Amino acid sequence: MAASVAMAALCRRLTAALRVSGARPGSTAAGLPGLTLNLFHKNLGKVEPLHQLKFLHTTLSRRGLEEFFDDPRNWGEKTVKSGDAWNIKQLRGKSSEDLHKLWYVLLKEKNMLLTLEQESKRQLRPMPSPERLEKVEKSMKNIDLVVREREIALRLLQTGHEKPVPGEWRHDFLGRTYWYTYKEWPIPWYLNKKYKKRKFYYLPHVNHFIRLRLEKSLCRRARRQNLEKTRQKVLKRKFPHLAVKSQSQ
Amino acid sequence: YPLFQLGGPQLRIFRPNFFMLAVRPGVPQPEDTVQFRVSMEMTKVDIKNYLEKIYNVPVAAVRTRIQYGANNKRNHKNQRVKKPDYKVAYVQLGQGQTFQFPNLFPDKEQDTETRSFDDFRNKYMEREKQRQKGDPRRGGVPDWFGL
Repeated sequence: MAASVAMAALCRRLTAALRVSGARPGSTAAGLPGLTLNLFHKNLGKVEPLHQLKFLHTTLSRRGLEEFFDDPRNWGEKTVKSGDAWNIKQLRGKSSEDLHKLWYVLLKEKNMLLTLEQESKRQLRPMPSPERLEKVEKSMKNIDLVVREREIALRLLQTGHEKPVPGEWRHDFLGRTYWYTYKEWPIPWYLNKKYKKRKFYYLPHVNHFIRLRLEKSLCRRARRQNLEKTRQKVLKRKFPHLAVKSQSQ
Repeated sequence: YPLFQLGGPQLRIFRPNFFMLAVRPGVPQPEDTVQFRVSMEMTKVDIKNYLEKIYNVPVAAVRTRIQYGANNKRNHKNQRVKKPDYKVAYVQLGQGQTFQFPNLFPDKEQDTETRSFDDFRNKYMEREKQRQKGDPRRGGVPDWFGL
């Protein structure tokens, strides 16, 4: 509970920093102005030195349900300024704890934006700055990717397996090959009547169809690549001055 | 998620991906009730824990229902278009807290740019309406008639 309280306190401060882009670091409560800066003020040029991380100010966040809504100063505005989304490269440099806190900050921000969207639909008004939603979604996806990468690396070092759940390659009766992850069942497969009727092999007459499928996929790929090439040629013809200079010279 | 069997560990989710949005109630609700739209997979216990841990809001009771999204609108191909289903949660706050859904679009004073644009737009609409009406000297009759 203490950890979640500390997290909530930090989240509140970080959320405040995120919402009003360009927020002054002095506005945050005593604690980690340096940390707040390092996490959010990427657009600003100034970088302040990182202060001691030991002193964590753990006040309970008194704004409970207010966090579902934006800063009251932004209500009724046409546009709200916001910074860029989090890049994967920027996130890879953060510690796991920071990423965990950032995830919750982004979650609360997304909740707030969704509330705003729904309310704007209800009131038949345009939502101010809907691009914030996409930025938050992208950042959350990036965090997920980074955490997954770290998990895979750790798992490889500790156990030698890449995937969290073991699996195997399987064929279905149509000749397709797919990766099947083992799932948890309450009963074993030999007691499952429906499962026993399924066939995990294919008969020789299916080879013809496998070849047809392969040809179809190759055809589509070739068509896509040709289309891309012709598009590039057309663009080169229309805008010769924008052509990328080849490295032959 | 891993299957639960009697005696197994409780499911704990780190970095939950569930979103909750507060909505304005269509029907007037009691003072302490907040209405949310939640993900379809969330349970009452989940919602209570979510609000208490992440938002630090004391929750007394949660009631949920699933709202069916209609499937009777048709697109340009005459295919039925489904509106998505969603779960609605009515959360009653503990410790006697009350909540009123705020007005997120208050009228703000417009700056000179928007004001001038609005004036320009009004004048244009007036001119269009004047042109639509007939000549007042002929009694408002449109010009189609007569010479």
